[in-house]
Amino acid sequence: MPFFPSTPIAKLTGHTGPVHAVAYSSSPHTYLLTGSADRTIRLFNPSKAPPSSVAPASSAAYAPGLVTKYSAHGYEVLSIDVNAANDKFVSTGGDKTVFLWDVQTAQTIRRFTGHAGRVNRGVFGGEGDSVIVSGSFDGTVRVWDVRSTSYKPIMMFSDAKDSVTDVLVFDAEIVSGSVDGRVRSYDLRSGMCQVDVIGHPVTSLSVSKKGTECLVSSLDSTVRLMDRGNGQLLKAYRDDAFVNTELRVRSTLGFNDSVVVSGSDDGMVFAWVLLDGTVLQKFRHSEMREVKGKVDKKEKGNKDVVSAVAVCPSRKEWASAGGDGNVIVWGLDP
Amino acid sequence: MDEEDKAEAAESRQLETVQSFETIGRVGGNQSDALFGLFVTEEETMGVKIAQKMGWRRDQGVGRKVRRTARLDDNVGANDASSAHMFAPKDSRMMSTIREDANRKGLGYQSEARLGTGKEKESEDRPMLALTFLEGSSKTQAPKKAAPKKSSFGVGVLNDTGSDDEDPYELGPKITFNKTIGKNKKAKKPSKFAKPGAGEQHVFKPKKVSAQSAGLPRLSHDGKPPLPGFVLATQYIDLTSKKRYPPPQIPPGWKSSKPVTPPGEHPGQQSVSDAAKASTLDAKARASLLGETMLPGKSVFDFIPKEARDRLASITGKTNLPQGRGEGAPEGYQDPNSSKPKDLWTFVPVLDKSTAAAALAKGATGWMPYAEDPAKRTRYTGFLSLRAGLRTDLPERPANMPVSDWAKELQEFAHAAEVFKPSTGLMASRFTSSTSSSLPGNANPTSNKNENLLRKAAAKPEDPAEQAAKLGMYGPMTRSNFPFHPSRLLCKRFNVRPPPDVPHSADAGPHGDGHGFASRTEEAVSKAAMERMMQEVLTKGAPALQRPAWMGIPEQDKESAKGVPEVEHANVDVERNDALTKERAPEDVFRAIFGDDDDEE
Repeated sequence: MPFFPSTPIAKLTGHTGPVHAVAYSSSPHTYLLTGSADRTIRLFNPSKAPPSSVAPASSAAYAPGLVTKYSAHGYEVLSIDVNAANDKFVSTGGDKTVFLWDVQTAQTIRRFTGHAGRVNRGVFGGEGDSVIVSGSFDGTVRVWDVRSTSYKPIMMFSDAKDSVTDVLVFDAEIVSGSVDGRVRSYDLRSGMCQVDVIGHPVTSLSVSKKGTECLVSSLDSTVRLMDRGNGQLLKAYRDDAFVNTELRVRSTLGFNDSVVVSGSDDGMVFAWVLLDGTVLQKFRHSEMREVKGKVDKKEKGNKDVVSAVAVCPSRKEWASAGGDGNVIVWGLDP
Repeated sequence: MDEEDKAEAAESRQLETVQSFETIGRVGGNQSDALFGLFVTEEETMGVKIAQKMGWRRDQGVGRKVRRTARLDDNVGANDASSAHMFAPKDSRMMSTIREDANRKGLGYQSEARLGTGKEKESEDRPMLALTFLEGSSKTQAPKKAAPKKSSFGVGVLNDTGSDDEDPYELGPKITFNKTIGKNKKAKKPSKFAKPGAGEQHVFKPKKVSAQSAGLPRLSHDGKPPLPGFVLATQYIDLTSKKRYPPPQIPPGWKSSKPVTPPGEHPGQQSVSDAAKASTLDAKARASLLGETMLPGKSVFDFIPKEARDRLASITGKTNLPQGRGEGAPEGYQDPNSSKPKDLWTFVPVLDKSTAAAALAKGATGWMPYAEDPAKRTRYTGFLSLRAGLRTDLPERPANMPVSDWAKELQEFAHAAEVFKPSTGLMASRFTSSTSSSLPGNANPTSNKNENLLRKAAAKPEDPAEQAAKLGMYGPMTRSNFPFHPSRLLCKRFNVRPPPDVPHSADAGPHGDGHGFASRTEEAVSKAAMERMMQEVLTKGAPALQRPAWMGIPEQDKESAKGVPEVEHANVDVERNDALTKERAPEDVFRAIFGDDDDEE
């Protein structure tokens, strides 16, 4: 059993709204980028932000660990993705635009408009991160060209009948998940699109390192591991305390594809063992602690959602982003 | 001649406009022909053209040919009878076609500012008849310009003091054209018809001018002298102010021998209107009195009912209208429907045949209303087919339905047909029909009644994939494939080779084409068009080499053209769409034609 990091080692504060996106920078994964409903993106250095950090009283002051603040979005930031070279990142949000930022100068290099609704996800893709793939509430997946100056997407997939909640790029395949309950995988090499019917609105996609499986979160409080080759279900991850029926909550594979980590509607973070589906651990984000045993139901009305989780690919470390505006970085006991 | 004479002669020389360019007036023309000359501008009217076609020539007269001698010169004529030939009659003078009403007033008209009463009978030294009303009486009235006006108050702009009869609006030229250059020393008083030089030129005036014939035209308009005892008038007699002669004086003491009845006393004499009012006869009675045969026509009063006639009488106040008889229409004019007012057919509403047919067609392919009541639906289709002309019998009426309900139902059907006919054109392109299950025939028969009461929304057909997913049976049932066509740029960015467009055979569902087409990229030239062009190039040769049609088709093209008509019917395969999935032409051809902007590897 993998030793799952369960000690908070950093707390990133400063956001004044729920944090919807969290992403590790590319190797060596030193930094964390967080995007929030307060329309800002913050670049943190977790090592500089001890768990005892408190959000600064005034927003002008720098929270501990904050490196840069990026402000250009007009609406909440819904997703962040960092390119492999660590010098650019893409952010999308409620203002229907896809922003390509330069990390150093904190300015947007490109702004792609064209979506008709909020852009739920934007990821880099292609050779050398030459394209950005974005999925939006308007049901389309658009592929934008970073290299050219065209304002029109290279390609647009409008097969989804409802909002596209997540997209990812794996090699030469673009995978999109939509509220219409289907996962569509466009293979550029063969020119075919494979449609998998999940049956429930899909909110999060993650693909294994090999690319043969993909993890699908859906709004029936289930996380499924699907075989991409034949569409069969490999494993379903559930728990009594795991609630995910309303909000878009991220799930991800981690630690060499050995665990499944997912946020939830009610502020819990769950970790399952991939192979057998047993719950590894549960965490309550707001209390920054692991919860053992039964979990008491939270009172209604608490917007303590853990909408994003990110696992560091290299270290035993992962982060959870909560509705209170804080991002907790969990690691092993030092 | 020395210099002075030459100078004098030069002075007297003037530059004149050519006769044919003068529109009005002429310099020193023959006075008697002045009228003629006015209209010599060659008008090619239709009448002239027609006459010419019939053999008439200009300057000829119209009429029977005259036997006379040839007139070689103006005044010299050969007197030989032998030299008499048939000639066309002499052309007669044309009547004036100037607007005659330009200067005409009604009888008794008195224009403004008449100078006096003794002016009407001016006898002017006038050359001809017709120009009277053109020139007016300006020549003699000019010296009297200063005479005070007596009638009107103030002088208007257009009112000359001396020119009464001159209508300022008449169609006569008031303009005096200067037809000569260098004639500044005109001391002539300004007259209406400027004929400059008329006074200066030497005119031959015969010494002996008889008063009678001096200015009078000799011949009437047809060339004959007036009847004996008559004299052609030179001007119209002015009848406006006739001298009134007083009645003769009655000798005193004279009594009339006739009895005088004071006016107004006419016993026994009825005026026509009185007689009409007193009459009690109507048209028919009068006709019979007179012994007329009755006209076969019927008046409208035979047909209108009594009440209508009475209404008319009361409205118009005419009580002498014939009685309304309220007859029926004569044979052959009867309206078949109206003759049976109690028929059930009246309840069947009218529906346009095309609408009914369209509503029926919609039912055949899509959806029919009254899904919950099959009997009603069959009645609906029956009504539609009746109105579409497929049936002729009355729509059926179930035994338990009263006639009024049945009639209402038919009205409802008519409205439903109007509403539910398939939309065409622009509206149709905006809407698609929902996929709904047809009659819930397989529903539980016991619960059918309950369902009829509640109008359920038509259930979406359960996607088998969805059902499988809900059951948790993920696998082949939940997976489907369809092709999409990644753009070349996209493939380039991903560093993959663009997939060949394989015409898919079985695995693509019917929606596959739609999807593939929907995810088509925005290319400048669509694939289908490009392939078409490629084929054209390959079969016909480059457009530059194609011959224009008038050069004729060379032999081999004719043969190939013959070969083509054999394949008459194109197979339409709904599943496949070759336009979308045809194999792409090789890359090299594309590159050769269109070139490539991006850097190619």
